[in-house]
Amino acid sequence: MKKLQDQHFYELLNVEFNASPLDISRAYKDLHELYREDSLASYSFFSKQEREEILAKLHEAYSTLMDEDKRYRYDRLLIERGILPEEMQFQAEHRALRQASLANHFIRNPLLKITDELRALTSSNSVIQEILSYDALSGKDLKRIRKELGISLEVIGEITKIRPIFLRAIEDDAFNIAPSKMFLKSYLKAYAQCMGLDPNIVANLYLKRLDEQKASGSANQDHVDK
Amino acid sequence: MAHIWPIGGGKGGTGKSFLTGNIGIMLARQKFKTLLIDADLGSPNLHTVIGLPYPEKNLSDFFSKRLADLEEAILETPIPNLFLISSARNKLDVANLAFEQKMKMLRAISRLDYDYILIDLSAGTSFNTIDFFTLSGSGIFVCCPEPTSIENLYRLILSVYIRKIHQVLKSQYFRELAEKAEARNSDATINKPEVLLHVLKEIDPEKAEMIERILRGFQFRLVINQLRKQDNPTIGSLICQIIEKHLCLNIQFMGNVSFDERVHDGLCGKAPFVERYLYSQVTLDLRSVARGIVNGHHGEAEPLLSVRQV
Repeated sequence: MKKLQDQHFYELLNVEFNASPLDISRAYKDLHELYREDSLASYSFFSKQEREEILAKLHEAYSTLMDEDKRYRYDRLLIERGILPEEMQFQAEHRALRQASLANHFIRNPLLKITDELRALTSSNSVIQEILSYDALSGKDLKRIRKELGISLEVIGEITKIRPIFLRAIEDDAFNIAPSKMFLKSYLKAYAQCMGLDPNIVANLYLKRLDEQKASGSANQDHVDK
Repeated sequence: MAHIWPIGGGKGGTGKSFLTGNIGIMLARQKFKTLLIDADLGSPNLHTVIGLPYPEKNLSDFFSKRLADLEEAILETPIPNLFLISSARNKLDVANLAFEQKMKMLRAISRLDYDYILIDLSAGTSFNTIDFFTLSGSGIFVCCPEPTSIENLYRLILSVYIRKIHQVLKSQYFRELAEKAEARNSDATINKPEVLLHVLKEIDPEKAEMIERILRGFQFRLVINQLRKQDNPTIGSLICQIIEKHLCLNIQFMGNVSFDERVHDGLCGKAPFVERYLYSQVTLDLRSVARGIVNGHHGEAEPLLSVRQV
């Protein structure tokens, strides 16, 4: 049994060396749940100071592995120390290279068809993967993903043949302008597919938030009426 | 050889006797020859859980040598294949057993010819309770999803942990090493056994490795009892995760047993719950735990090995 302080970040988060940002994000979320101040499962097992140290260490691991540059440097360090196998260097470099070229990818290929390569590019982006790990997605989240990919609304409009006014309404959460729910779902799917994301997941997470907002809006209205 | 499972939990009222009795009935109904031992010497009531209000013999007859051996203390129950060693109407001074008496009892238990032997232990962290875990190398912990119960569960497990280290190292050597460890790291006290073990590794790696191996050999299980609808059903797995990660103990979550108001009615009716409420959620949950006990033995080391070695 290794002391917590002696564990490297991958051991600490209990993920593989080649874990995707989504895997890392999930692992961190689970562990944070386990060690957070009001966790019932770890109640009384740690002193306040021990708990704070564990949480700080977990956060350090998470923020390092979620940042491609920091992760690349950290992997190099582990390779130098002989903890990480030599062949992982190639993977680390490849990941960093893909990340760097991602922003320019759409500029050079505005009408890029949805290919496995595009999906790989999206799945290797830490910011995008973090956003996708949320319980629900807002228009602002979708906009962040799009900006991260460096793709304009016009390009998406051109590929999907959806009018930019509707695309903008989706991103602005302007539900009064957005089309009916049935059309909205198909627009969301096309929008997501265009960016190499899973269309069903994106559409469901967005609609989930929409429903929640509507529910809370009607609850507030009831309150006002009363 | 019988599979022997001490059943305990840090806190009183978590349902240790309830689980022991009802799981015992289920194993017996599956035609496994099952023996229940009420080792909660201070407040025995396992006989009531299984619907046997007037046990004729008890464990103190064995300790006072009124019975020639433990086998004579065994009672038949109305349920086929189910037997009981009761502690009802024990002598009141029998609650505190000497170490030798516990050893005598465990040796006698290990010689009994049963498929399963379930030992119902008392609450708390007295040596009476924790020695059954350390000596048998196995055990089922019962805990409720409440802070008080979880706090006492951790206390019990840490007590078992430190007692085992103590038993392995023998008293004087343990004290010397503990003092050295504390001098190196002020956190390495007996209240922090995991830190103690890390410091021992630096002082005496061979001994530390041996202890770690023995601790890893424990076959522990956890059952969460009285789980209400609003409780987190994964709490048991999370507790096991903490124990495995920080104490290097092998502990497996066996499942949740739901909360049910009718448990009270069953006890008041002095009838076994699983016989009275055949299709309740609690009965289904207990069936799943009993299945886990039976299936869990495939390919495992025999429990109670250490008792035979002592």
